[in-house]
Amino acid sequence: MTNLKFKNTLIHFGFSTKEEVKHILETNPDRDIYLDLTCYDPNEFYRAYPQLKGSFSALFCDEEKKIEVHLRNKNPEILEKFKELGFKPFETSFVSCGFIFPRTIVQIINEAYFALEEEVASQTDIDRAMKFGVNYPKGPFEWSKGRERYVLALLNELLLKTQDKRYLPSKLIQI
Amino acid sequence: MNFKKIVVIGAGTMGSGIAQWFAQQNCFVELVDNSEEQLKKALSGIHLSWGKLLEKNKLTPAQVDQYKKFLTINSIERVSRDTDLVVEAIIENLDIKKDLFQKLDQYFAPHTILSSNTSSFPISLMAEAVSKERKNRFLGLHFFNPATIMKLVEVIKGEHTDDQLCQDLYQWFENKDKKPALCKDFPGFIVNRVARNFYGEPLRIAEEEDEAKMREIDQILKEVGGFKMGPFELMDLIGIDVNYSVTCSVWEAYSKEPRFAPHKLQKQMVDEKRFGRKSKRGFYTYD
Repeated sequence: MTNLKFKNTLIHFGFSTKEEVKHILETNPDRDIYLDLTCYDPNEFYRAYPQLKGSFSALFCDEEKKIEVHLRNKNPEILEKFKELGFKPFETSFVSCGFIFPRTIVQIINEAYFALEEEVASQTDIDRAMKFGVNYPKGPFEWSKGRERYVLALLNELLLKTQDKRYLPSKLIQI
Repeated sequence: MNFKKIVVIGAGTMGSGIAQWFAQQNCFVELVDNSEEQLKKALSGIHLSWGKLLEKNKLTPAQVDQYKKFLTINSIERVSRDTDLVVEAIIENLDIKKDLFQKLDQYFAPHTILSSNTSSFPISLMAEAVSKERKNRFLGLHFFNPATIMKLVEVIKGEHTDDQLCQDLYQWFENKDKKPALCKDFPGFIVNRVARNFYGEPLRIAEEEDEAKMREIDQILKEVGGFKMGPFELMDLIGIDVNYSVTCSVWEAYSKEPRFAPHKLQKQMVDEKRFGRKSKRGFYTYD
């Protein structure tokens, strides 16, 4: 986890539990705060914490460091700051639980884990099939490598929020 | 494993692409269809494609001549009985396919491998149509469109398919610069199963029909996710009816598992005959 403080602003990177998110917000009531909320619905925090000025999703970004950024009010300075830090921010006009790319990709990853669990094919062949059959830039297991914790956290959050069983995580992703 | 003779049945888009690819691997290919007109159209299309590749210097005149010799069209009654591999790529209708495989089983030599390019039917169900002796030489070979360009071939092992045969085919395709993926006979195999959420989840993110939101989702998945096309523009290209039908087929096959459930908007659009690009109206409108 990394904090970047400048002027009256705090940008917080990395995964945080909901309690940690609340702690950051409650201990910095006078700052403008921007948090990585990849695994949550930022709207939930926007409602309770006016100091939360925006959110972003960096937990699934790769070496290209492309991230979704949602700002409650226009703020070119923040976007510039992300660029200075080496990120390529893409501002979105709306945000919901899991943003756009992370929410889509965790569902693809979860299905790949279900297929693996049922021994439909090997990890290598599932990755290969998605890359060479439908031109995905990466295979689902390549995407999830080292990020299983975030996949699980987002699936659980989506399940909690929607009560829709389509978000039930596979057993393998829970191991 | 060495294939000298291949028979491809069905001269539609997939069948002609598969036949063209095999000819480019220096295999003798007989392309078969019950419509002579379709066969001629397919052959002319393949020749045109080779002509274009020649113009672009991607093939030499000698290669084109060679490929043309390798690829012939034929009727099912006159096709070589001693062929090594048959790839079926006809209409997606289980009864018609089973009927065809029953005839093929009786017609071809005992060593001939029978395969289906189906994207929707269980291989083991189709294998019911062939004799006990053929079952271990019956499998799925699922190519992706366009077959000459897309590298993936799903090598699908049916209940009775010989393990070694699958391994040998995997290796053969690998040696021919394809990217085979070995999989078991589950609905949707790998791609049509795992890819379902690339369409289903963005529909749920959008929640309802909102063109601006859909454009933004497409944009983000391309820019941030690195996908070549966004889900909404891709559904418009594939055909919303086709995509909806595949979704329903996988959903039904997995006993209406919620992960595969279609979105209400998909049905609504099909009911309204908004099929995407082909009807000029889909998630977007086209002039």
